[in-house]
Amino acid sequence: MNSSVTSIKLVLLGEAAVGKSSIVLRFVSNDFSENKEPTIGAAFLTQRVNIGEQTVKFEIWDTAGQERFASLAPMYYRNAQAALVVYDVTKPQSFIKARHWVKELHEQASKGIVIALVGNKLDMIENGGERKVAKEEAERLAEEEGLLFFETSAKSGENVNEVFLGIGEKIPIKKPGEQANEQSGLRITDDQRVDLTNSVDGPVRSAGCNC
Amino acid sequence: MGVRSSSKEIHQKDHNNSPYGYGYNLASSGTNLVSSLMKSWKTSSTRSSPRSNSSYTGDGNFDAMAKQQTTAIKNSSSSSSYSPLKYSSPIVSSGGGNSSGTRTSTDSAKLYASGNKYSSSYYRENGSGSTRKNDKYFRDLDEDWSAVIDDYNMPIPIITNGGVASPATPKITRSSSMKTTPTSSTTAMANQNASSTFSYPQLPQLQKSLTTDLRSQLEVENEREAQELSSMLQRMARFDCILKNKHIINQQELRQISWNGIPKPQRPVVWKLLIGYLPANTKRQESLLKRKRQEYRDGLEHVFSEQHSRDVPTWHQIEIDIPRTNPHIQLYQFKSVQRSLQRILYLWAIRHPASGYVQGINDLSTPFFQTFLTEYLPQSRLDDVEELDPESYLTESQLKDVEADTFWCLTKLLEQITDNYIHGQPGILKQVKNLSQLVKRIDQDLFNHFKSEQVEFIQFAFRWMNCLLMREFQMSAVIRMWDTYLSETSLETSSSSAAMISDTGTPRTPTEPVSMTFQSFTSPSTTSKSSSEDLPRIRRSSLNEFHVFVCAAYLIRWSDQLIEMDFQNIITFLQNPPTRNWEETDIEMLLSEAYIWQSLYKDATSHWQ
Repeated sequence: MNSSVTSIKLVLLGEAAVGKSSIVLRFVSNDFSENKEPTIGAAFLTQRVNIGEQTVKFEIWDTAGQERFASLAPMYYRNAQAALVVYDVTKPQSFIKARHWVKELHEQASKGIVIALVGNKLDMIENGGERKVAKEEAERLAEEEGLLFFETSAKSGENVNEVFLGIGEKIPIKKPGEQANEQSGLRITDDQRVDLTNSVDGPVRSAGCNC
Repeated sequence: MGVRSSSKEIHQKDHNNSPYGYGYNLASSGTNLVSSLMKSWKTSSTRSSPRSNSSYTGDGNFDAMAKQQTTAIKNSSSSSSYSPLKYSSPIVSSGGGNSSGTRTSTDSAKLYASGNKYSSSYYRENGSGSTRKNDKYFRDLDEDWSAVIDDYNMPIPIITNGGVASPATPKITRSSSMKTTPTSSTTAMANQNASSTFSYPQLPQLQKSLTTDLRSQLEVENEREAQELSSMLQRMARFDCILKNKHIINQQELRQISWNGIPKPQRPVVWKLLIGYLPANTKRQESLLKRKRQEYRDGLEHVFSEQHSRDVPTWHQIEIDIPRTNPHIQLYQFKSVQRSLQRILYLWAIRHPASGYVQGINDLSTPFFQTFLTEYLPQSRLDDVEELDPESYLTESQLKDVEADTFWCLTKLLEQITDNYIHGQPGILKQVKNLSQLVKRIDQDLFNHFKSEQVEFIQFAFRWMNCLLMREFQMSAVIRMWDTYLSETSLETSSSSAAMISDTGTPRTPTEPVSMTFQSFTSPSTTSKSSSEDLPRIRRSSLNEFHVFVCAAYLIRWSDQLIEMDFQNIITFLQNPPTRNWEETDIEMLLSEAYIWQSLYKDATSHWQ
């Protein structure tokens, strides 16, 4: 059973109060709470999903959004294979921050990192709130930077699982017995799912993530 | 200074050269002591940890005392497995220097139960009801009693035997003292009593309780209840003795007694004193409050005036966080409270630009706010503070006063930990590092296990430092913890006279000058050899410093479990620790343990400051 489980280390980044923790809570517990206490430092959660025949285990670091905690972020995205950069579709400022995070990730994180840009709080628009970040603008950014793009509502659950499934599909699946190769820096990737451009300089996945 | 005090006392009485008084011989083997302490901690913690269905009642102190007593009874060979708490069982505090030290709380409980004609009926009625409300104790009391207790400010006859005066006759029970000292007893009387009984009780568990095996469960229950009540009243009286009718409040004494917890009715004023907001000079208090409260109002007026441009990002950040502050407590959902907190936090942020508002500071403001609100509640409703809208019982001006007090006390608190919130948060990083170094010394196995699992301390301890463990415990436990934190670590306000804690070996009266000789803490092996005259005088630690020891105690408590876990389980466990239902007693265990670690490792951590 465990032999077919792949671990994906994923980090969430984004401005304070855009709903990072809520997205994770929805994904992990299918739950929502209106006023979640601000995350301090970072929270760690895991969730398993089946993608095709594979079981993928997400190991999620949900970081604190406030600027003052930003210096901790590198510690969490350093070894991440995937990142969600989250903004609030009703807060333009949060989209600016998202751009910064994408830039920083491209500069500092592992080259092969899969990034998803996520516009959250879609429910607020559907409930009469004003959209302040155009979908086209976000799509453009995603295209330019090679990001996955989703708009979600952690409150209603809309599109949340799709984000993680999308990431899971984009991460090269590791086969059992691959670890020996990894240590020499080789990356043997799965047939159709390989993203060669990403994996050329891909990070050596840390051994033992199947634990 | 409970641990200190009781240690000290035991030291005196037991002719045991250990300054910690737990019967361990430090001189022979320091490491054994450490491991034994750890073991004992774990043993007791497994018994006491999450006790959601606990039927214990009353305030933490009494709880813990009773619990430990029960523990001791259940396990009569547990003399090595108790934690070094120091609950003030008043009856036990006969205090005489020539006391043999073998009197047990059980004995005194027996005395008490047999001597008090009220006790059995009252306690039976209430024994099963699990209530945390102090006033519950009062409501069902016989009239004679409530006459005394109605006004907590009124001096309550001291239940001890008068300590030094009559060490050999400890058989004065509450009822007899009631008879001898009429309810109209003067404050002077109470003061006198208290001042002559400033000795500290033995640890309740220091008993070879052979007799208890024979006692029925019910009797034990009753005794425990009796002790709880008596202990609570006793504590309140002792606080009153320090606070009432004094020109200068003895801060030393206040700190010493507050370390073990502050009764709810007195907590607001004691906190303000401990943190250095209220001056010890009672004649100056009123004018100071008036001035500070006005200053706060002026400050608000200024930052919200036209000339002052709003710091929009800060305001916005606070605005976002206010509804997310203690979302599970009704109090913080009221608009009036949210507006108050927002003003407090914004004004603080504007006035402290180097740090500005940092998430976590919102958490730190709430124990003050909530505690200060209780000043305006009738004593019977103190526990309702989390449910009532302050607007329903406060005038606008009173609410502003609470706000102002909260603001100034928050300011005082944050002054001590500024480095935690400035850019890069060096204070927190340093604390996390200190914690890991400390754990490496105290519990090498755990440290190595973390290393092999690639668990980094910052991954779980950052929040511990940033929010002073507030996210780990429920509010009542946090507030109890702050009693100790404020007693242990506040900056000194006025003179250097209280800049360190003096642990002289003898009971002091409030008027007795305190020996001020600073003596840096020496290592355990040294102190164990020193004479009783030469007990270590412990300088007060900084808040960050003591907090690291609390965190260490907190972490090591789970050592046995953590060492079996992998990375994922360790982090998940530590981020969702099973301590959200911890009661005040559990906190007291933790604080005592932290105190011991601090005593043992102070020498190794002297470079921290």
